[in-house]
Amino acid sequence: MNIGESVILAFDSIRVNKLRAFLTLLSIAIGVFAIVGAGTLVSSLEGMITQQLADVGETSFWIQRMPKIQRMGEGRSRRKPITYTQYKQFKRLMTSTDWISAYSFTQGMTVKNGNLSTDQDVNLIGCEEYFFIINGTNIVEGRPFTEDDITSNRNVAIIGNDVITKIFPNQNPLGKYLTVGSQSYEIIGVLEAKGATFGQSQDNKIVIPLTKFLTYHANEFEQSLDISIKAYKKELLSSTIDDAYGAMRVARNIKPGEENTFDLDTNDTITDQFSGFMTFISVFGFFSGFIALIAAGIGITNIMLVSVKERTREIGIRKAVGAKKRWIMNQFFIETITICQVGGLFGILLGLAGAGILSSAVGLKIVFPITWVVFSIVICTILGLVAGVYPAMKAANLDPIEALRYE
Amino acid sequence: MDKSNTIIDIGNISKVYEMGGEPVYAIRDISLEIKKNEYLAIMGPSGSGKSTLMNILGCLDTPTTGRYFFKGNDINDMTDNDLAEIRNREIGFVFQTFNLLPRSSALKNVELPLIYSGMKKSERDEIARNTLIDVGLADRISHKPNELSGGQRQRVAVARALVTSPSIILADEPTGNLDSKTGVEIMHLFYELWKKGNTIILVTHEEEIALHANRIIRLRDGLVERDEINHHQRIE
Repeated sequence: MNIGESVILAFDSIRVNKLRAFLTLLSIAIGVFAIVGAGTLVSSLEGMITQQLADVGETSFWIQRMPKIQRMGEGRSRRKPITYTQYKQFKRLMTSTDWISAYSFTQGMTVKNGNLSTDQDVNLIGCEEYFFIINGTNIVEGRPFTEDDITSNRNVAIIGNDVITKIFPNQNPLGKYLTVGSQSYEIIGVLEAKGATFGQSQDNKIVIPLTKFLTYHANEFEQSLDISIKAYKKELLSSTIDDAYGAMRVARNIKPGEENTFDLDTNDTITDQFSGFMTFISVFGFFSGFIALIAAGIGITNIMLVSVKERTREIGIRKAVGAKKRWIMNQFFIETITICQVGGLFGILLGLAGAGILSSAVGLKIVFPITWVVFSIVICTILGLVAGVYPAMKAANLDPIEALRYE
Repeated sequence: MDKSNTIIDIGNISKVYEMGGEPVYAIRDISLEIKKNEYLAIMGPSGSGKSTLMNILGCLDTPTTGRYFFKGNDINDMTDNDLAEIRNREIGFVFQTFNLLPRSSALKNVELPLIYSGMKKSERDEIARNTLIDVGLADRISHKPNELSGGQRQRVAVARALVTSPSIILADEPTGNLDSKTGVEIMHLFYELWKKGNTIILVTHEEEIALHANRIIRLRDGLVERDEINHHQRIE
């Protein structure tokens, strides 16, 4: 009599008690589903963010009026907008890099080409010539803005794929004209297609010079701008950031000793803020899964006790023909662990499938959360051990005479 | 006295239960010697203590007082695990209600004691198969208990009892759940086993069944009333 025999016995009794075994392992599967689902989601989101930040490059940073991710409890302080005038002064003061572009955008625009029109859902972005370098945006056809386009405030536009599909079907849009509101723009470039993130297409947009945007498409010319900046080299990043803080304080007329009235985010600060959010999802997923598993564990103990009770006579027979306590214990132990692990396996598959469906629905690339999967299997084994102890001992300690008499 | 042929040797054993603070004797001061190749019937009405005696003889229970030697080994010194080992190797049980594992095939049921004795699968498979053939179930080897008649089920149980070649076969009312014709067949099987040299202990309350044995012990109120050789042994 060895472990192998016990495993065979365990599988035998799972086979003959299919429904009960199924219900039991379903409860485990739900707990593991929560853990693995959250794990997959977190891994995939992290993968996405890492990819996006890598696209942008690690030497870019951004200045805006308010922090990108506002923490709860942080009241919205009344900060004055970062105006175009302040931006111009900031740009003059920045000597460490030329790669600076303010930008602003508005959603829900309609773009037309003669009779053809998009829905009222196009993102309109206003920026300057370095915007594309700083944000890692590639232009696949045509050209980006030149300094001349910006200073001369030309009516030129660079457009995304979705706009082409809608209003220039099967045509080369370069050199053609489109209309936004009262303005007509010549198309000089096409943006690289990016697909969708969180179900939102990244290609339904057009980009025009900043001052055009502010003059014709913004609510007011003096609306608050965001500024993107890129250091020339990694070694220059921190001095460029220092420079930017100084220039912005002068441009915003902040006196020494006063706090900044703007926010500066680097790749690192965004990653930090994001990882805080990811930790929250992880911890949440883990704890809800863990609590579900504890509940499942109690359920398993209960079901195994019922199983011991139901199989009292079987245990009596086994004891009568010479099964030692240890073997009866092993049998129920291994049965519990097997149920837990098979349930865990189901949960892992469900979790991966669930997160996979969700991820592909919102356009995330799925990342296989290997640590979470291994962790789940370990947890399930431990759960089986803990949940199985009492029923197994109860079975092993049954009096054979009483057990044989049990109806 | 020559003890080389003695399998069971019990002396002055009693089993006492507490009931409402009062000691109740299930059996009292029973002494008994059972030798190899005896065919012994233990008889008595219900409440006479025959079940208790059978449980003790079968090492499922231990006496409160008295000595019990099984092939010279003192049962009173043994742990639960030692007793399990004795049951596994030395005793084959046949029960009134068959007590087969309902969802396992005849073969699996007969293999069960061999699993617990640590025999390899290929080996035990062959022995179990042969034992089933010996009891006349060659064509029922992979049937489950609910696909078998009562008599066939009891034959499976007999095969399970025989499969480890035990020193004694302990049969508790083996015909109690069978019609009389099938009962006769089972008793014939026991007779053949006895003829082949097996030692059989038969527990019954039926005179007719007891008459198959060559020695009959009658119990009453926990005491041995009579212990005699049966000169009118019935042979089926």
